[in-house]
Amino acid sequence: MLEIIPKDIKVNFVGHRYVWLAISTALVVVSVVLLMSRGFNYGIDFVGGAEIQLKFDKPVSVSELRDLLGGGGLGNLVIQQLGETQQNEFLVKLRGEDAESQEIIFKMESSLSQKMQKADFEIQRVDVVGEQAGKALRKSGFLSMFYALLCILVYVAVRFDYRYGPGAVVALAHDVILTMGIFSLTQKEFNLQIVAAILTVIGYSNNDTIIVYDRIREALIRYPNRTFKDNVNRSINETLSRTLLTSLFTLLVVVALMVLGGGVIYDFAFTMMIGILVGTYSSIFIASPILILVTDWQQRRLKKVASMKNTPLIAPRP
Amino acid sequence: MSRSWWAKLLFLIVVTVGAVAYVAPTVLKLDPQKSKFLIKEKINLGLDLQGGVYMVLGVDFRRVFTDVADRLAETLNEEIKRRQIGCSLIKPSTSTSAGLSDDPRFSLQCANLPEKAKLHDLIKKDFDHFRMTGDAGNDYEFGLSKLYKDAVRERTIGQSIEVIRNRIDEFGVAEPVIASLGKDRVSVELPGIKDIERAKELIGRTARLEFKLVSQEKSSDEVAALVSEIEAKNSLSYEQGERFSDYVQKINELAKGKIPANTEIAFEREGRRAGSEGNLGRIAHLLTSKAEITGEDLKEASVEIDPQDNRPYVNLHFNAKGAEAFDRMTGEKLHRQLAIVLDGIVHSVPVIQSRVSQGQAQITLGYGDYNTLLNEATDLAIVLRAGALPAQLKFQEQRVIGPSLGADSIEKGKFAAIVGCFAVFLGMLIYYRLSGLIADISLILNVLFVLAILAALGVSLTLPGIAAIALTVGIAVDSNVVIYERIREELKSGKSAKVAVEVGFNRAFRTILDANVTNAIAVAVLFNFGTGPIKGFAITLLIGIVTTLFTAVFVCRLLFDWYTDRFEVKELSI
Repeated sequence: MLEIIPKDIKVNFVGHRYVWLAISTALVVVSVVLLMSRGFNYGIDFVGGAEIQLKFDKPVSVSELRDLLGGGGLGNLVIQQLGETQQNEFLVKLRGEDAESQEIIFKMESSLSQKMQKADFEIQRVDVVGEQAGKALRKSGFLSMFYALLCILVYVAVRFDYRYGPGAVVALAHDVILTMGIFSLTQKEFNLQIVAAILTVIGYSNNDTIIVYDRIREALIRYPNRTFKDNVNRSINETLSRTLLTSLFTLLVVVALMVLGGGVIYDFAFTMMIGILVGTYSSIFIASPILILVTDWQQRRLKKVASMKNTPLIAPRP
Repeated sequence: MSRSWWAKLLFLIVVTVGAVAYVAPTVLKLDPQKSKFLIKEKINLGLDLQGGVYMVLGVDFRRVFTDVADRLAETLNEEIKRRQIGCSLIKPSTSTSAGLSDDPRFSLQCANLPEKAKLHDLIKKDFDHFRMTGDAGNDYEFGLSKLYKDAVRERTIGQSIEVIRNRIDEFGVAEPVIASLGKDRVSVELPGIKDIERAKELIGRTARLEFKLVSQEKSSDEVAALVSEIEAKNSLSYEQGERFSDYVQKINELAKGKIPANTEIAFEREGRRAGSEGNLGRIAHLLTSKAEITGEDLKEASVEIDPQDNRPYVNLHFNAKGAEAFDRMTGEKLHRQLAIVLDGIVHSVPVIQSRVSQGQAQITLGYGDYNTLLNEATDLAIVLRAGALPAQLKFQEQRVIGPSLGADSIEKGKFAAIVGCFAVFLGMLIYYRLSGLIADISLILNVLFVLAILAALGVSLTLPGIAAIALTVGIAVDSNVVIYERIREELKSGKSAKVAVEVGFNRAFRTILDANVTNAIAVAVLFNFGTGPIKGFAITLLIGIVTTLFTAVFVCRLLFDWYTDRFEVKELSI
């Protein structure tokens, strides 16, 4: 049998848990700072605006294109060349602050058809999103990420035990924040596709966590004499090949999509790739430590309550 | 092999054959008209793969609320006069758009308190659409109640959808999708449409409703024959994608001389049912050109049930001008057919029944069982109201995809998905050997089932949807890995092949279920939030999760049982 992880591996994940938690906390803090300072590079989906994708038969330079579209009177046009130079494909973007993006698109289209033969260019795609609609989409985008996390918290708490819930959700929230942080850092466009990918990642990366939790639950029943921490540690080790393999196979698909998919699929696959990588890390290094923290906290509280019960109500006379 | 195994195998074979049948039309590119194959549904291509337009329109309710409040206030005023209550209505000015409001109010001034009390009683009994917003001295101020406003909102959205649907038929789009989005928006998908600018312009306009008498100069058969004659003589036929009004105009031009001077030919949509989009199959009618009554004259249209024979009908309530015109018409032409024309397309040709009271009329709709009639009546009422009470539509989102981008994307997407899947197949084969092969077989079946379900349910395949299929494979593999690692463990701890397989599957089932359910939860949230292609992605992924549960557990187990039984293995190739 081919095995990439030896069966009797014994890494002390639990022992070093504060290290992992510290690293993750640092990364989360960095991400949050980035999000608050640099923010996202919102696409028109979230901020309103318009985008036209054009393809030309003959080579056209960016400045020529600007002229073709109507010159200076059109405010903040961002023109981007897509793909390779010989493809002559351009993406023209207009942000939401400019009023009536629709009218501007219309002006651009008519200017283009006046100045060029119809056969020489093709409008491949036009997207117009009203500013209000964009804001509404943004709000519902973030809300839905929140709801997804909430639902999963409830589900895990119900299926396992309320102690397991926080671990799963913290791991997922960590994944989401780090992914968003990377987008803030690279200022890659943040649009509907990305949110879709993040939601998919939320659902998917929970798989790994569930695998570990399931093993922990089984170990607790099978080996009640071992300490909790010991059981958790063994469980993580035992399921290591499982967690790594599942992520690896999914990554195969995602990387293929990323490299070969082109356009819309690339953004999506890129987000998923980051999500899976971070997700695997968090399932191993964060979910279980949090579980231990919660259990410890619970134990301490129980002890406190127990010790209070033993204290007599009236202090004995000295 | 045990009996139950054979039974399971049979079940699997039946399901697989069914799936292949559903996928065949798409793969073999069968022509739905010519094919004699049992199943004709092909997999729908989403907008981003076919090219087309996606729009989100917001409905401006202010005009609707203002108009509704206006009419109700008028009715109230009539009642007050009729009952001789000493109050008078002060109508706010609504003719300028400054007067348009989301919460229109009007006030009533009463002579004294007893009269005011009478008014209060009247409103409480018969006018529960109102809520009191002001009460001072001898005066009241009223607005529309929240419940009523919600009802109006819902109704207006329904009307707008109906009107849009009617207009889109103009373009002969193959599979338009028009649906409400939330409480105040409508989404429209027009795949493969060519005349985009005109579509946008047409959709934004307000509705045009006309009532025209059906001419008795020719019978309906004669008219149909005439149309076919014209088509044949001039090699004219309606092609999808062409503008329908152009076609109708041509027919009428060519029919000059063959039909009386004051008549025209118009068409009714065949098989018209809420939900059957497109299909401008046509019943031809000869109508008097002059519209006796238009939508402006109609105050209200509602569905009522005739207490005598329990049949649904539509009650029309006209304003003064409309009532007069209607009286004139029906006095002479009772029991004649009246065509209701919305934006140039005949909606239905009911028979004028009788005058019920001043300015009201009944329209009955032919024959059928209770439910059919009720549906028809409801549809008709919606159409009538749409013409009578137009709401303003505002474009919020528009996405236009040119057809070449679509074709390009399909190719790239397909290729990427296939490469990804292939990588997974290979990986499984290398890492798990024969068991990997078993997993690969179940993965192939998985993809087949997803495609079949897409075809059967008529779900559109979008570009992200293609990615979703590839992802499903990547995620389905997880379930296999979980099972297999478990089997390996059991083998290590000394269990025999058969037992290890049994334990592996059983123990792993709960994990797989939990993992897939949490996956499904997130994807369901995505489905709720997403629009257009993303909805396509979510639903494809959801289907994939269901099929994964089936193939990873049922199918794999079946194959494994065969493997362990048939070959009496001592050592499992895993």
